[in-house]
Amino acid sequence: MTTGINRHKWEPYLWLLPSTLLVSVFVLFPILIVFKLSFSEISPAGVVGGFIGFDNYVEAINLPAFKAVMLNTLWWVLSVVIISTILGFIIALVLNQKFHGRKIARSILVFPWATSLVIQASVWNYIIKYEYGSLNNVLLNLGIIKQAINFRSSYQIEFIWECWVGIFVTVPFVTFCVLSGLQSIDVSLYEAATMDGAGFWHKLRHITLPLVKPSLTVSTVLNIIYVFNSFPIVYTMTKGAPAHKTDTMITYLYMLSFYERKKGPATALSVIGFLILCLCAGIYMMTVMRKEEQQ
Amino acid sequence: MKRYPEIKKQNLRMAVLLILGLVLALILMSLPLYTFEIGVYTKKSPNTFAGDEKYIAARAEAEAAADEYRAQGFDVEVSESVVERTNSKGKTTSLFTFTVNERNSKNFWSFLGKDLPSSKVLICILGLMAFSVIFMFLGLSGSLDLLHRYLEPRSRIFRNLVIACLMAAIILIPVFILLNNVTFSRKLSLYNAELITEGKEAFYSSMDAFLFNGTMGENIRDALSGLKIEHSALVWLILPAFFISLLAAFSLRRGEIQSSLLKTCLYFFVIVVCVITLYPYYVMLITAFRSNAESLDMYFLHMFPTKWIWSNLTDIIHRGVPRFLLNSLFIAGGATGLAMLCGIPAAYALARMNFRGKKIFLGYVIMSQMFSPVVLLIGISQLMTTLHLNNTLWGLMLINAAFNQAFAIWLLRGTFVSISPEMEQAALIDGCGTIGALTKVLIPMAAPGIVTALIFVFINAWNEYTVATILISTAQYRPITVGITQFSSFNMIEWQYMFAASLLATLPVVILFMFIEKHLTAGLTSGGVKG
Repeated sequence: MTTGINRHKWEPYLWLLPSTLLVSVFVLFPILIVFKLSFSEISPAGVVGGFIGFDNYVEAINLPAFKAVMLNTLWWVLSVVIISTILGFIIALVLNQKFHGRKIARSILVFPWATSLVIQASVWNYIIKYEYGSLNNVLLNLGIIKQAINFRSSYQIEFIWECWVGIFVTVPFVTFCVLSGLQSIDVSLYEAATMDGAGFWHKLRHITLPLVKPSLTVSTVLNIIYVFNSFPIVYTMTKGAPAHKTDTMITYLYMLSFYERKKGPATALSVIGFLILCLCAGIYMMTVMRKEEQQ
Repeated sequence: MKRYPEIKKQNLRMAVLLILGLVLALILMSLPLYTFEIGVYTKKSPNTFAGDEKYIAARAEAEAAADEYRAQGFDVEVSESVVERTNSKGKTTSLFTFTVNERNSKNFWSFLGKDLPSSKVLICILGLMAFSVIFMFLGLSGSLDLLHRYLEPRSRIFRNLVIACLMAAIILIPVFILLNNVTFSRKLSLYNAELITEGKEAFYSSMDAFLFNGTMGENIRDALSGLKIEHSALVWLILPAFFISLLAAFSLRRGEIQSSLLKTCLYFFVIVVCVITLYPYYVMLITAFRSNAESLDMYFLHMFPTKWIWSNLTDIIHRGVPRFLLNSLFIAGGATGLAMLCGIPAAYALARMNFRGKKIFLGYVIMSQMFSPVVLLIGISQLMTTLHLNNTLWGLMLINAAFNQAFAIWLLRGTFVSISPEMEQAALIDGCGTIGALTKVLIPMAAPGIVTALIFVFINAWNEYTVATILISTAQYRPITVGITQFSSFNMIEWQYMFAASLLATLPVVILFMFIEKHLTAGLTSGGVKG
């Protein structure tokens, strides 16, 4: 698709230049800096010394909290992505039906997506407070519980709450991704299937799922990346306390580098996280490119 | 117009089902679902053992008191409770307490005409039930044997009104039940324990009127202190009874029972999802307008603040919030402008020109979309220190623009590709330069897509938090997302200010988002989007 009138050979590159410059300076440079730092000696005051090989990586892996943090990250990503994908899919199926108030319902559902994560996490922080939190207040007032419940009695439960907030803010994204896939399905397919006597489950399995699969893949891979990168929820609700037991990798490396002055292992963790992201990004790119080619 | 005898039969059946559901509800309402146990007489007997003389004497005394009440026609029973104690000499003694309880059963009709909050709700429910029956008859008269699509508009409206009435009643029934819970368990226990005092007299006199027909007078406090309330789980069966009616009402409108059932479930599901989604926003809204004492009040009994404190909003003005909002506006606006300025040419080149390395560039763009700045925080802060952009709004703006670049290009390219290039070619032939063709022809045509991308980048930059916490160290340069955290410190959190500021930060973006919600589904297919 070329307009092809009197174009110089280098013209397209001129058009791309500003964008390339912006991304290179502010995305590519930090990546290079992090890589370089991860192989350098860094004093607690932040002074960068010489090359020390993989010492930072070894130190990072031997940190006492390392294993727990990696496990947390795994739980965090898996639970949030899987549960919100299932919920989002169901909600999208419902919102794809015709009913009165569908527009209103869709506008309401978009709220958590538009809200800043810090604000969302702060509100939930208030909701689940033991002494005066809104949830205890509402449940007590409605006579559903007789005694106030301590919703944050242990760090495991606090972590579950963090996952819940993660799910809460991720569901709209999945819903709208799946909806975009659902709306591109030809209605006549369903009509034909109904004529042939196919039931609800049959249509779901053999028409809806295969046709929504591309959108579902894109949303899942993107969600893995976004959830992995998510920082404000954990940071606002627990700050990783107690002793990094509720930290995910991202909040942990933040704490390490900006609170505990362990920049060396923190940069090593950054690189590890970066490589994990690269892996996900590669998968994502392959899916998207394949989709592009199909079009 | 063809008339169908089988439709008539079906409609009659559904009308009967609707009335049956309502009758079932009425029967349930007449059952004694609420039981109140009120202590009218107590006898305490210390140092007593079960079966000894003292025990028998005390028990007989209580029984005598009970008989007295029975003679007056009350339904009473004697119960005993025992507390074991170890006295100062180390001996175990026990304290027996005999109470004579009056059992007082109430059904829904007892609530009518009383000064209780739930009474009004009950009147509404009954009114809605009556109206739904009336509307049903009006909707069926003369058109009992017609298919839905042949109905006159008048009877169609009436049949819709039946559904509306029943739905409203279904929403009000839990309200009624839960309001009773608030009154009889929560409110009463708080008043009895003197944890709240406001409106106590009025509350006690309304309870007196409800439970004792106003005969207790001064003694009402003692009478209520031992009050126990049990509501039978059967209360909730009223809901299914109404659902039967609603199902029938749907069938009257649509003529098909299976799809009506699905529809009923669908509405129920959507309402539940919307309520859960809106809950945090409701909490944010009401807390923003409550006083500090009220936001920390564990005995708060109202849906909304007792007094809307608008001064919370004026207070945060003096705490730097307008400055934070301006900073956010500058950062997000600047980032959006820059992202578009760099993104539109790049998207144009990718959509309209062929060149070597196009695929590589696309891949580079998608890759850079993957990296949230969080994992690169250390590198970013180092870079910004080198460039002397640390602790400036410009630095934050540039970072936001760069990290949103990928998405902007991806979305814009999708929009440009979907527009046919013929118009631009015409413009080029007419002597417009490439830039002229882009600005005069393509951009106006791609406006909806561009606006979607614009708003999206703006929202992402507006909501950005993590990089801002690192780059900004001076209070006056904070964006609003970082600014709201100043209201929480180690020893005290000023929730009302925090949420008032959050409200101001959330409102504009949520409204913007609702504008592009229509285009959202189209935008999502052309590439991933989320900040």
